[in-house]
Amino acid sequence: MPARKLYFESIRVGDELPALAKAPVDRVQLSRYAGASGDYNPVHVDEIYAKSVGMPSVYAPGMLVMGMLGQLISDWARGGQLRRYNVRFIKMVWPGDTVVCKGRVSDRHGSGGRYFVEIDLWAENQKGELVMKGGSQIQLFYSLEDENRQRSGQSPIVVEVPRESLVVPAPASSAEAASSAPAPAAPERDRDEDDEEDEESDEPRSGASSKKTAPREKPAAKTASLPAAKKARK
Amino acid sequence: MLDKNAIGRASPPTLNEVEKGAIRRFAEAIGDYNPIYYDEEYARASGYPTIVAPPTFPASFHSAADLRELLGVGIKSLLHAEQGFDYERPIFAGDRIYVSTRVSDVFERPGMSGKMDIAVIEDEGRDEEGNLVFRARRTLVVRAAKENA
Repeated sequence: MPARKLYFESIRVGDELPALAKAPVDRVQLSRYAGASGDYNPVHVDEIYAKSVGMPSVYAPGMLVMGMLGQLISDWARGGQLRRYNVRFIKMVWPGDTVVCKGRVSDRHGSGGRYFVEIDLWAENQKGELVMKGGSQIQLFYSLEDENRQRSGQSPIVVEVPRESLVVPAPASSAEAASSAPAPAAPERDRDEDDEEDEESDEPRSGASSKKTAPREKPAAKTASLPAAKKARK
Repeated sequence: MLDKNAIGRASPPTLNEVEKGAIRRFAEAIGDYNPIYYDEEYARASGYPTIVAPPTFPASFHSAADLRELLGVGIKSLLHAEQGFDYERPIFAGDRIYVSTRVSDVFERPGMSGKMDIAVIEDEGRDEEGNLVFRARRTLVVRAAKENA
């Protein structure tokens, strides 16, 4: 039977998501992901090719690691609806690396019978180095009663819950990570129209992070002749 | 510097049919064995109409976009720097989703070795009625090829 669901009323800002330690990445997994995603960029699956462009070996596509962190969200937010999920890729993940996914509730708010939690997310490798960071917004029912009401066609329970953004300690591996924690979401409504706005607020963070992403730039630059168009397709 | 005129260029919508087997293989590849991705009954008991796709599943969707064409340059290499998704609703097995790709921004950002060309590419998925299902946004560090590579 489905696991117990998560309800808004039981969540507090600062709550930590149970860490998810994934099995070590191996080359078979990279092949499977290539097949499943349709991204056959050889830097992820062809060891000889990867070495020929200066990499020590094949490495995991960022989207695979984003998928792992996505598992952390879905495992935790059972019964919730994912509204937004953003990440920044920071460090490469190599075969043999173990990705540990972590998260923490950074805010909660509700209005007009719709309830949201914001979570900060990050992934570390086995050395505790930050490989990816991001954030997510999840919509939840207020309580089991709220869910039952709505599923039977009644109006939702309405409780006004203002945002209670809180300064939380930084993840151990990166002091910067928390200081540039995902900005609170733009208003939930009309997300489709206001998407641009939302990302604009992202700018200062992106700029600040160029230092962090820069180290990746070097090795990646060596993937000179990688069939970009293929990857680009996605 | 990438051509600013690329902003707004888009590819026509391409149909993606969401298959159960594709969802299963995608979840397996991530090593995510949540039964909502595999077991129809379990998914229903969890409040979904059928099997659900994992959050990053749109990464497997096809679009007619050729980035070289959209950006108007030969591409030497691409580095995926950021990725974001906005979801109007979950994606389910059996969905028929039309995906189109558009250049949402190009700009320069200071990097360690000089300025970097950044392209922001947005994918949009809509159902057959035209309702938005998701938006995906990739930030790419683009190295253009010197000549018509």
